[in-house]
Amino acid sequence: MKYIILVFFIFIIYSLGSALYYMMKDGDGSRRMVKALTMRISLSILLFIFVIFAFWMGWIQPTGVT
Amino acid sequence: MQSNNQYFVPHGSYWPIVGSVGMASLLGGFASSLHGNVLGTGLMVLGLVIIIFMVFGWMGQVVLESESGIYNKQVDRSFRMGMGWFIFSEVMFFAAFFGALWYARNLAVPWLGGEGNNFFTGQVLWPDFKAVWPLIQVPDVSKYTVPKGIIHAWEIPAINTLALLTSGATLTWAHWALLNNKRNQIIAGLIATIVLGVIFLALQVAEYGEAYQHLDLKLTSGIYGSTFFMLTGFHGLHVTLGTIMLIVILMRVIRGHFNPENHFGFEGVAWYWHFVDVVWLGLFIFVYWL
Repeated sequence: MKYIILVFFIFIIYSLGSALYYMMKDGDGSRRMVKALTMRISLSILLFIFVIFAFWMGWIQPTGVT
Repeated sequence: MQSNNQYFVPHGSYWPIVGSVGMASLLGGFASSLHGNVLGTGLMVLGLVIIIFMVFGWMGQVVLESESGIYNKQVDRSFRMGMGWFIFSEVMFFAAFFGALWYARNLAVPWLGGEGNNFFTGQVLWPDFKAVWPLIQVPDVSKYTVPKGIIHAWEIPAINTLALLTSGATLTWAHWALLNNKRNQIIAGLIATIVLGVIFLALQVAEYGEAYQHLDLKLTSGIYGSTFFMLTGFHGLHVTLGTIMLIVILMRVIRGHFNPENHFGFEGVAWYWHFVDVVWLGLFIFVYWL
């Protein structure tokens, strides 16, 4: 389960990083940055839904003492 | 607009000297307040006020210069470079704190418990020590505030994650609106983002109140408490800063600044907000869940 979360996270950081690259490289007319950021937020929401789903299914438990 | 080979330099700007005076009194005041000097504390606060005044004054002047069209492509590039270095320092800053958490959890605490080739370290130092995370049972209770529990992921942190992720979506909605020149949609998106940012901060304050008053989970609660508050506290500070920047951008949009071809100020703040959002997602996963 940890690895699925980690893979999600790597893709999120990749899309955030590419948005930064496009911001640095492109002029203001370009839409590549906003597309990368849209990808970033979509993946993040998916990851959040996945974590909640995994908790609901009993696949993962929050850290430590209850 | 100036030609591309002539960099814009303002004449007779007094902001650098104002900033220098502010920084000198902030640091000098801080140093003497450490020696218990009340005047020093006053000087420190004065320095901070001067710096805040300088930031708003100087950036306000930059906005006016930008709007009057005296900047060229070269100035635009230098803003982007400046933003790049700022982000680099921010990434390093959070990498250090996440690194500290990783080191404590995966290396230092297991070593103290006798893992690896440290069996005798564990036996000699604290034979009864159990290497678990979160480390609530600290070895020497007389030196720490022993917490009764921790903040559960499935309470305020989950609601806060929902708030920040929604704010990321509303900001992206505003970003698309800016590129499509739909001004009302930009304003609505920005207001929603700011409101969600404020909700996040209010809930974070409530969470800290709960931790300090009911759980005895404090900055002095050993390695768990210190990494928890350093990471979430500095993140909260970044959300505060991001919210202030979004408010400035909102006021600029209301005044008619930015268009689909010229809006680096918006882009910089938008990226910063997305970055702070991803840092929170990292905190939610690595601090509260795993």
